[in-house]
Amino acid sequence: MTPAPKGLPVNPMQQIASLDRRRFLRGSALALALPWFESVAAAAPLGGLRPGAAARRRFAAVYFPDGVPMPLAADPAFEEWSWFPHKEGDTYRLTRCLEPLAGLREEMTIFSGLSHPAVRAVHGHSNADQFLTGGQTGATGAYSNSISLDQVFAAAVGDQTRYSSLVLSTDGGTGTPRGAHTLSFDQGGRAIPAAHRPQKIFEALFVAPSGGQGRSLSTSASALDDLLEDARSLRRSLPPGDQAALDEYLDSVRATELKIEKAERWRSVPLPEVERGSMKLEATPEDSRSYLQAMFDLMYLAFRTDSTRTATYQIGRENGIGISDHLAKAVGFPLSHQLSHETKNPDGWKNFGIYCAYLAEEFGRFAEKLRSTPEPGGEGTMLDHTMLLFGSASSAFHLSRNYPLILAGGKAMGLRHGRYVDHAGGEMFGGAWTGGREPWQQEFEREDRPLGELYLAMLHRLGVPAESFAGCDSPLAGV
Amino acid sequence: MVLSVVDLLLSGLLALAASDPTFIPEGEAGTAGEEEGAAAKEDRQAVPAHDFAALKRLGAERSRFLTPGASMPPTEQREPDLEGFQGEIYPILEASCLSCHGPERSRGGVRIDELDPDLVHGEDVDWWLDVQAVLSNGEMPPPEEEGLSGEDRGRVMEWLSREIQVAGSVRKGSSSHSSVRRMTRYEYEYALQDLLGLPFPFADDLPPDPVSRDGFQNSSELLTLTPVQLQAYLRAGRKALLAATVRGEQPTPLSWSISMEMAAGFEFGRQQDRLAQARGNKEQEPEKREEAVARLREQWARRPGGAHYESLRTGAMARQTWHYNAASFAWSPEEGLPDPGRRPAPPHDHVAVIPHRQGLIVEVGNQIPARGPLRVSVLASRARLRTGPAPVLELAFGWQASNDSRSLLSLPTPEHVVEAEPGQPRLYEFEVDMERIYPRNGVRTTAKMGELPNPSEYLKLLNASRDGDALRVHHVEVTANAYRSWPPEAHRLLLPERPRERSERDHARGILADFMTRAWRRPPAGAELERKLRLFDSLRPEAQDLQEALVEVLATVLASPNFLLVGMERQPEAGAGSPDLAARLALFLWSSAPDAELVARAAAGELESDEALAAEVERMLADPRAERFALHFTRQWLNLSLLDYLQVDRHAHPRFDEDLREAMLGEPVAFFAELLEQDLSVLELLHADFTMANERLAEHYGLGGVEGTHFRRVPIEDPALRGGLLTQAGLLAMNSDGRDSHPLKRGVWLLERLLDDPPPPPPPAVPEIDLADPEIAKLTLKERIEDHRDDPACMSCHAKIDPWGIAFEAYDATGQWRSEVEGRPVDATSVLFNGQELDGMVGLKRFLLEHRQDQFVRALVTKLATYALGRELSFEDRSAVDELTAEVRRRGDGLATMVSLIATSELFRYPRGL
Repeated sequence: MTPAPKGLPVNPMQQIASLDRRRFLRGSALALALPWFESVAAAAPLGGLRPGAAARRRFAAVYFPDGVPMPLAADPAFEEWSWFPHKEGDTYRLTRCLEPLAGLREEMTIFSGLSHPAVRAVHGHSNADQFLTGGQTGATGAYSNSISLDQVFAAAVGDQTRYSSLVLSTDGGTGTPRGAHTLSFDQGGRAIPAAHRPQKIFEALFVAPSGGQGRSLSTSASALDDLLEDARSLRRSLPPGDQAALDEYLDSVRATELKIEKAERWRSVPLPEVERGSMKLEATPEDSRSYLQAMFDLMYLAFRTDSTRTATYQIGRENGIGISDHLAKAVGFPLSHQLSHETKNPDGWKNFGIYCAYLAEEFGRFAEKLRSTPEPGGEGTMLDHTMLLFGSASSAFHLSRNYPLILAGGKAMGLRHGRYVDHAGGEMFGGAWTGGREPWQQEFEREDRPLGELYLAMLHRLGVPAESFAGCDSPLAGV
Repeated sequence: MVLSVVDLLLSGLLALAASDPTFIPEGEAGTAGEEEGAAAKEDRQAVPAHDFAALKRLGAERSRFLTPGASMPPTEQREPDLEGFQGEIYPILEASCLSCHGPERSRGGVRIDELDPDLVHGEDVDWWLDVQAVLSNGEMPPPEEEGLSGEDRGRVMEWLSREIQVAGSVRKGSSSHSSVRRMTRYEYEYALQDLLGLPFPFADDLPPDPVSRDGFQNSSELLTLTPVQLQAYLRAGRKALLAATVRGEQPTPLSWSISMEMAAGFEFGRQQDRLAQARGNKEQEPEKREEAVARLREQWARRPGGAHYESLRTGAMARQTWHYNAASFAWSPEEGLPDPGRRPAPPHDHVAVIPHRQGLIVEVGNQIPARGPLRVSVLASRARLRTGPAPVLELAFGWQASNDSRSLLSLPTPEHVVEAEPGQPRLYEFEVDMERIYPRNGVRTTAKMGELPNPSEYLKLLNASRDGDALRVHHVEVTANAYRSWPPEAHRLLLPERPRERSERDHARGILADFMTRAWRRPPAGAELERKLRLFDSLRPEAQDLQEALVEVLATVLASPNFLLVGMERQPEAGAGSPDLAARLALFLWSSAPDAELVARAAAGELESDEALAAEVERMLADPRAERFALHFTRQWLNLSLLDYLQVDRHAHPRFDEDLREAMLGEPVAFFAELLEQDLSVLELLHADFTMANERLAEHYGLGGVEGTHFRRVPIEDPALRGGLLTQAGLLAMNSDGRDSHPLKRGVWLLERLLDDPPPPPPPAVPEIDLADPEIAKLTLKERIEDHRDDPACMSCHAKIDPWGIAFEAYDATGQWRSEVEGRPVDATSVLFNGQELDGMVGLKRFLLEHRQDQFVRALVTKLATYALGRELSFEDRSAVDELTAEVRRRGDGLATMVSLIATSELFRYPRGL
């Protein structure tokens, strides 16, 4: 018998619904084109990017939880259901897990043997938080994180579009420390809440008047002019040796004015008109396939209308909880995470593999759409101008090493594809868990390459001349 | 294996620089330092080893500041004596110094032949100060080189001292360093908290501030203003105003009235279920069933170690069960205030019992809003009649969303010592604004109760007493949206209601004038007010109502340089008094803006006289806001952030815990605050017969009779072990490597922070200690350091650092006293570069008290003045610091006296000259 919750909560979903739209949007997932990342932006002058549509570069990261099937070589399921392909290089052979991506073979590279060093010895359930950041998120106790890859890129290009970034997840919001519902973290390492309802995302992108969100009258032109006046009159009253601080202040106000002007111009630009087509905006994760397709379509539309240049989508949170765990229903299983636990059962690898193939299929559909759309006002296809990252922060059972990763698109940025790049040297930990010490608790002789090296290389291809990312200061060669 | 221990040892030094002016040891100006040692030996026989009071008196007699005629007589000279240099001084330097510091070799990057001998107009003064220091300390020429005769040394010192004095007085007050800067993060937060009357975190969105090399965060050189910062300020100020104001109707209170009677009932019900289950287990033999039942009864008859329920009538007990998932322990709220009629009346039966250091979870679900006051009332008593220290009731807030995501933090509300006797429970109240609680459960508004991730949150009632009585809880009431008035006071303070007859514009004028006066630390000029009103006129049509327009205009008041920039000294308009001085005082002593009283006094010209100013300083130091001064100055001066980041090896020091870290951080701050409050001598910092401790720290020191988490004065029992900053556990621990002591870090810290004599940084190529060499591997750390020091490349610096640090060797990495290290007796004896022997900590303190009083007092004046001015000191400030030090010493070295003298000094009052 437990205390009977009487009259317990109103439906929390209704609470969200009752939030007025301005507040919801101001919340976040569609961060305004008024970013606060100049220190990064300063390191990445826009001069690095040629102006005009031809130079558009985009980035999207898509994350799935629970790792991937990794049967041992001796296992009968090895040939068909290992997530990682067989053989390295351009002659690699895809298994059925990634078969849906076969048509994109020349548009993508598969990586193994990469992971972030900071939390390799932490249970994989806690590690989605650091997938795009490489932060020291730890296993327990006080928590901190660092800026995510997409936000570094957004800091450089965010003011060229209506929204500096688009942050999506199936579970929505920020989640909790080590249980993130978002892939994106701001410069201070704070979680950026993700949007999760297709209808609302669509409205924010294409229906709702959006110019004024988050805009405060105190940063209007007249208010900033007033601050300049304050500063000038204060400056006059100070002896010359004390005026330097005022000069800095004046410069800062002027720089802010420029920024705000740039953001303001979106108010006069009409919202792009978009056909809903067959998108099911009312879909919930219970209607898994429609929901995933709607989320991918929204990213596609946001890119096609140049509403933003960067998007992240966390298909599911970790730890086998939350609404995203129901996504496996699309392929006939009740819960997704359970599949990673039941690989020792008959058909266990296959069932897990079918689910992974489903995610790959929907990701592939997104990539195909970008490939079949000519780059607006540019050369080649949209995919050529869009770098896609698809992956997870664990591989074998809760093991936060050897992340399964696919880098696709972005040929116009110089990415070379058609290969499987194996940094694990074939020595990949796998097999079903049969009790006892879990893989993440074991010691490993071989260390992965730091994933930050790949991320740094990606930033460079995206035109951001960052010196380091996640503690890595040399980019992975041959990307 | 080659392990670069020394790289590690020295890495902490890289941030240091060599050019700070060094002080001449007292009583030795113009003489070589070797005599120091001989003199000390004589005195040692006279004063008993631990009679520190006698040593303080003896040391004071050596003070050049206290000895008439010990310092240079005043001079009329205003120009440099270049002839004397050419004719007499340069030839001596040429013969003794140039072989190492000349055209052939320039050791340490120093070339004596290139120094400009014109100290009055030239730019090499800081170098000359170094020369003076190494000569007077006997550090140069090094012992292996040909010496400098006492006569020649004296001649150089005399010339140099004179020139420094002349240059000091000519260049006085003409520092090129400006004090004008933006506020630090913490000053900004305090200023907003004081201005809005809300203790909320207002600076969380500001980027972190840099720290200067001497540890100060408020240094104008570093507090530059970038567009990023300005935009962060723009947002943060507006956000603060939105947090201080409300809209619409008062939200309905939500309340939970939680009866322990009922909670216990559930728990006893669970026991009955288990009994029934054991009895009804048909698979067991009847005797086995009876055994199982007996085992359960036996188990329940024992008092649980954790929080539990108890029937006062029957004595039955049941431990509290709680798990996070499914939120099945959550109590549901009702609308409205709690009904006091639900509180139990005597005779009481069921209660919750919380033994010391245990907690009771009261889960409240996901209904607590993001803002507004939360009130928690606990009907409680102690469990037994005066059988030990009273229980201490503390409140914590927590949540657990999943197996790997949780939080539990103490609420910033005062604890209650529960004195109510059993049977006569009293109501203990807590109140906290939800705006202050971070982090909240991130899925609280998105996840459903009963599902995972779990959106529920809970309160935890903690009995924080370490070994006191258990706590009895009868009833708990929780109220969210517990506003005492609407709109809340902070709103009314900012935006008073507009009288019907007054126009919006007139109303805005009144609000703006008041807010600008408080935010800008002075009444606005007429033109400034008019400009803001024009801005109001232009924003008003765009705003949805008067409140929005006002908040936006007020936000620009907070983004103005008149709020953000501090440290200014303007020519006041006639009759305006000295508002800038008031602003600088408030920043120095309160880390914030002046209060109405100070603004008024400044405007009335009442800060002009020394007496009035000193009286104002006294008032400000007595104000609770002065605690911020003790906290921030002590933290920055002593570099306590090292302790924040210290990773203690828990295998080597299993008793170290976070409570101890917190206590260690508190001790130096509380100690400083105590000296300040009592105006005790700053020499107490070198040795005192008391310290400030709480229960956890006293336990660490082996001192008894201290209860609770607050700091209070505790006498030192053995002056050979403790007393003063040097033996404070936190300072010893933060200068360790987390596993063992670290003489080098401790030595450097002493020189930098307490003596203001930072050693030079290590050279770029430091030789490694080869731990693969078995001969080296078996050496103790002290021996390794000595071995390393024998390397000529390292010797000159290490001879200056190591002996100081080795004196601390009897204290381990957590600051505990020890007599053995790894089975060998501690060897804490060392010899300073000048031959002075230091016999461990007592020897070190004796030496400092006998021979370095002036240096220490002057160093503290320097540090305090650096903090007060918010800028680096330079040669131009040197004579002012000397004068201040002399005055402090003459008045008996009191800390409050020192602070007051700085605040009333010309240096502070007229940063841009008279």
